[in-house]
Amino acid sequence: MHPLSILSRASAHEVISLADDILAQFEEIQVLQNRTGIVMLPYRDSARGVTFHLGEVLMAEAHIRSRLPSGREVEGYGACLGRDLQHALAMAVLDAALRGGVEAERIEAFVASQAAALAAHDSALLTKVEATRVTMETF
Amino acid sequence: MYVAARGGESAIRNAERLYRDLVGAFDAETVHTIERAMPYLVDRVMGEGSLYAPELAALALAQSGGDLYEAVLMLRAFRSTQPRLAYARPVDASSMLVVRRISAAFKDIPGGQVLGPTLDYSHRLLQLEVLDRDAKAQDEEERSQAGEQEEDGEEAGMAGERSGVSNCNYPLVADWQRDAGLLPLLAVHPCPDASEIPDVTREPLLFPAPRAMRLQSLSRADTGGVLALGYANMRGYGAVHPTVNEVRLGYAEIEIAHPITNELFSIGRIRVTHAEVVTALKSASVGNGAQPDGDTKLHLELGFCATVGWNEVKTIAGAMLDLAMDLPDPHPSHTEEYVLYHTDPVESSGFCIHYKLPHYVTFGSELDVVRSVGEAKRVAGLGDYYGDGDHLVSGMPGTYSERPGAPLVPEGTAEQV
Repeated sequence: MHPLSILSRASAHEVISLADDILAQFEEIQVLQNRTGIVMLPYRDSARGVTFHLGEVLMAEAHIRSRLPSGREVEGYGACLGRDLQHALAMAVLDAALRGGVEAERIEAFVASQAAALAAHDSALLTKVEATRVTMETF
Repeated sequence: MYVAARGGESAIRNAERLYRDLVGAFDAETVHTIERAMPYLVDRVMGEGSLYAPELAALALAQSGGDLYEAVLMLRAFRSTQPRLAYARPVDASSMLVVRRISAAFKDIPGGQVLGPTLDYSHRLLQLEVLDRDAKAQDEEERSQAGEQEEDGEEAGMAGERSGVSNCNYPLVADWQRDAGLLPLLAVHPCPDASEIPDVTREPLLFPAPRAMRLQSLSRADTGGVLALGYANMRGYGAVHPTVNEVRLGYAEIEIAHPITNELFSIGRIRVTHAEVVTALKSASVGNGAQPDGDTKLHLELGFCATVGWNEVKTIAGAMLDLAMDLPDPHPSHTEEYVLYHTDPVESSGFCIHYKLPHYVTFGSELDVVRSVGEAKRVAGLGDYYGDGDHLVSGMPGTYSERPGAPLVPEGTAEQV
């Protein structure tokens, strides 16, 4: 799974905290974009197979360009549901860091731990859903 | 001609102040309480507002004092200020994380049926004890509930282990019916570039509408409006009696392309409702020569509706209307134009409440016409405003008076009216 797919659903507070720690590793950061906007969601109609627009979703995005100590430039992008610009910006910092090999192991470990927490949450939810399964009988 | 009003600005300011005094102030905590405690109300606003933004929908509800139409209007107004940054990857219901899935047509469907989070099968009795219990009793009850939840959780865990919950798979009932030959195979619709899908937010709705526009309009339609027309169809003004083929509630991933690498990633999940209804319809039978042989046969037809947020009643009624709109000779209230034009919450509520605005000049003109016709009739000895002379009711409200500029409002008492 793409690391951003985990970071977008992870605790914003923890993502921002990690990005703050890693920020010092960059020489400079240029914020190319940090804004809210909407993303249109196409959906497939199961009756006729037509794809249509179900509705729009509010998102926050950030696009940064940063310079590594080696002088190499690297870009990063982040986006999440809602309007938390800081969360999106932190995601972009971590994306740039992963792309530039800055603290990659630390970030990957963080992503793995968040992925495990999200999977556990899903599993707990699905277990509760499973408990509502019904079996129909005809008398 | 314009009618000027003086002191309006101050009166409006005071009216808003009075509104807030009576409805109460709100803050971020109020908004987050609404978001947490009333997800179905928030979902309704998001569905009709056509924007998935739970925090903002809750804010709109708090700001409008719970007036749904105002809240929907505010959400749509906000949406119009935002740039469209991307198109997400199209969602297929079979890929959703499903939490509720039922069918009234078949008891045994692939993947089975799960009731999920619902109060459908509970007693609709007000829990008055919530209002009456004291703090001590409340503590005891919470402890007891926590114990029960723990036991239920253990049972649920065992059920999950038995059925391999991590591999939940709920194929679409319609696809299963197609495999079984109960429904015709789907025509191949190449998935278009998302920016080329017809979009009611950018193009006018013309009839017959492209199916993509019909379904988008139903998705953002007013729940009450869709229900009213759908209910009329169910009660007998429609020619079909559909069965719920499938209702599913779940979470859909919103996947967009990374602008640097073009890889897809998820920006999060949203709640989605998906509903299908099915009915048997007559169609012309085709003979060996692929020509109609004059006979008729029955075939199954699906109606479909989906929306952002969890809203079962709207999607079931919407799916029934989808079916009704395709019939050769629908009831006038179930034609595509009638349904789609009259169920937009912002259009319909906006048109209705615009009548509250001053119409003094419009109505004054109407009054002039009524008076001049009345005068002409009186002079010709043909009667009055409301009568043709033979059926003139004495003392009727608004009866013509010789006095110039006589008010239409009756001068008599209520008893005389």
